[in-house]
Amino acid sequence: MAERTAVGRAGRGAAILALLLGLFLAHAPARAGEPATAPDFALKALGGGNYRLSERRGEVVALLFWGSWCGGCRSELERLERLGATYAGAGLSVWGVVLDEEPGDARAVASALGLSMPQLHDARREVARAYRPKRLPTLLLIDRGGAVRYAYGELDSRAERKMLADLRGLLDE
Amino acid sequence: MAIDSPGIAHAYLSGRDRGYRERQPARRPAAFWLAVAAACLLALGATAALAEEGAPPPDFQSLDGEIGALKQEVVDLNRDLFLLEEELLFPANTQVAVFVSMDVGTFFGLDSVQILVDGKEVTNYLYTQREVDALLRGGVHRVWLGNLKAGKHELTAFFTGVGPHGRDYRRGATLEIDKGVGAKYVELRISDRVQKLQPEFLVREWD
Repeated sequence: MAERTAVGRAGRGAAILALLLGLFLAHAPARAGEPATAPDFALKALGGGNYRLSERRGEVVALLFWGSWCGGCRSELERLERLGATYAGAGLSVWGVVLDEEPGDARAVASALGLSMPQLHDARREVARAYRPKRLPTLLLIDRGGAVRYAYGELDSRAERKMLADLRGLLDE
Repeated sequence: MAIDSPGIAHAYLSGRDRGYRERQPARRPAAFWLAVAAACLLALGATAALAEEGAPPPDFQSLDGEIGALKQEVVDLNRDLFLLEEELLFPANTQVAVFVSMDVGTFFGLDSVQILVDGKEVTNYLYTQREVDALLRGGVHRVWLGNLKAGKHELTAFFTGVGPHGRDYRRGATLEIDKGVGAKYVELRISDRVQKLQPEFLVREWD
């Protein structure tokens, strides 16, 4: 009986330790080198409707920051549209974030390219301030846990292969 | 070759002699094999006992129960911490919370709610379709939580969305609130006025 009590006490102690460790790990600040949590945002889409990033938790999200004045953005938009169609079933959401102040030109570009993915209008540049894209276009891959894992600029064929490998890795997680 | 120093002995054994040892089959003492046999017997016995019982032993059951209880305690503790954090950040004597609720939504598709306190914007919240669906199912959303000092304040809410006949719709409602001691709760309620085929926006304080 005494042994059982001792075993029970030891088990309880271990469980408390495990829970405390779990709580500590859950609340510990992210260390250097760990992926940063993607800031949440809600934006209005050019085609109507509002989109909130946190509602896509559990999916991989590809965010492309672009503007109508950026020539290199168009090929990236087309590439992202194709990726979205290919990997939608595997849990990929693709969103464009338009940095134009007025939506007219971006809407025309999206229409000319025949894009069906949501184009979110960041008119106040609040999302751009939160994510700080260094150049346009900037593609961010956000994992299922809501962390920014990869960032790319304009992609050449080699960088595209790497991006595809990274994306497949995220979808497999 | 005589070896005097332990350092030299280590270097010697870890070098040429080690290669020799690795080529030889390892010899285990008899006690080792006895221990392995005893462990196998014990494992077989334990497996048989478990198979007979068909359930984990009572110690494990009680441990599972205790872990479940501990998990619940952690959840409760987390909730208490959350409440404590809110009490610290938004003390009751200055706390003001604004909630949004929706009745049927036949005449109004909610897009966003903008709230101004004393003419200053404190929030502009965009509602996604999922959030609107939750409101239509009876959910209540706390759209703003802030601090206001005691006295009179003007709270204005602008509702933006799609009105009757699919037209863009924007309507404002204002409430004068008298912030005293204790938390103040304000509800922004969107309902349908069937007689006029128009949405209705009510701003009221909770008692």
